[in-house]
Amino acid sequence: MKIVRIILQLLVLYGFLLIGEAIQALLQLPMPGSIIGFLLLFSALLLKIYPLEWIDAGATFLLSFLSLYFIPATVGVVDYGPLFSGKGVLLLPIVIISTLITMAAAGFASQYIANRSAAAQKEES
Amino acid sequence: MAFTPAAIVFSVLTVATYVIANFVYLRFRKTPLNPVITATVALVAILILFDIPYETYMEGGDWVAAFLGPAVVALAVPLYKHRELLQKNLVPIAAGIVAGVIAGLVSGTLFTRWLGFTEELILTVLPKSLTTPVAMQVASTIGGIPSLAAVFVMVAGFTGILLGPYLLHLLNIDSPIGRGIGLGASAHGLGTAKAFEYGPEDASMSSVAMTLAAVLGALLSPLAAWLLL
Repeated sequence: MKIVRIILQLLVLYGFLLIGEAIQALLQLPMPGSIIGFLLLFSALLLKIYPLEWIDAGATFLLSFLSLYFIPATVGVVDYGPLFSGKGVLLLPIVIISTLITMAAAGFASQYIANRSAAAQKEES
Repeated sequence: MAFTPAAIVFSVLTVATYVIANFVYLRFRKTPLNPVITATVALVAILILFDIPYETYMEGGDWVAAFLGPAVVALAVPLYKHRELLQKNLVPIAAGIVAGVIAGLVSGTLFTRWLGFTEELILTVLPKSLTTPVAMQVASTIGGIPSLAAVFVMVAGFTGILLGPYLLHLLNIDSPIGRGIGLGASAHGLGTAKAFEYGPEDASMSSVAMTLAAVLGALLSPLAAWLLL
């Protein structure tokens, strides 16, 4: 029964979320409970405490509609129309330029380090 | 979340619009027809046309948005599946993510501050390169506006798709790791879709980068807000 398995695994994901939110509230951490839940699940998988087969179908199912879940939020832009008719429109070039800086830094750093360690390995061999 | 008639109508309407938007996208496969954009435009048009307040819409919208939290948790599964790739390239991946996340947080904060935007808007721009569910939750945690944050995340994503290839070419970033980490760390899921066009290794790198950047970004955003504001 694939459907039952998916539903049970969705409940497990929800359980990880609730634990993450409880930890967040308890320790007053300045990060979303969902990220704490993510870290818990990832650690549980890595440490083989929780097997992949018990979460795979549910997670894959949930993530295949990921963009659906944030549509209600993006619709919220309806309340911010006036912002973009004024000075707020400048936020768009800011986001665009900052995104390009992010991409350049991430891409350049990873490629540079990868090439350097590849060259070092070549010298050794 | 109340179980009202509006809740039923607007959650069904959201899902239906999304299904249609996806269908249109799969039929024509054009970037501007991204289902998030078309579904958002359609729903905004419906709200304006029928004079429905966003608050009323959200009685149903909240039911759909409730899946965001579990979906963030679920991101652990694809990351775990890529653990060998991650292990094998741990240092260059980590270097790229750290450099990208810091560059994004610092440049976003400084530009918005120089132009004199309010603190609330600075905190809204801050998480723009994180995947949407994380960005929205980070925005609400640090005092930004989640729905506007989602809009900026989309702008960042489209920047990655449309301008990213030129930038990567210009900077001679031409390896799967450089392209994948660059696209994933700056343009999240949309960047990862673009990385697929370069090849499966680019796509895996980008998917790993998207998740790691989201986690690191969630950890560093409050710090960046505290340091730079």
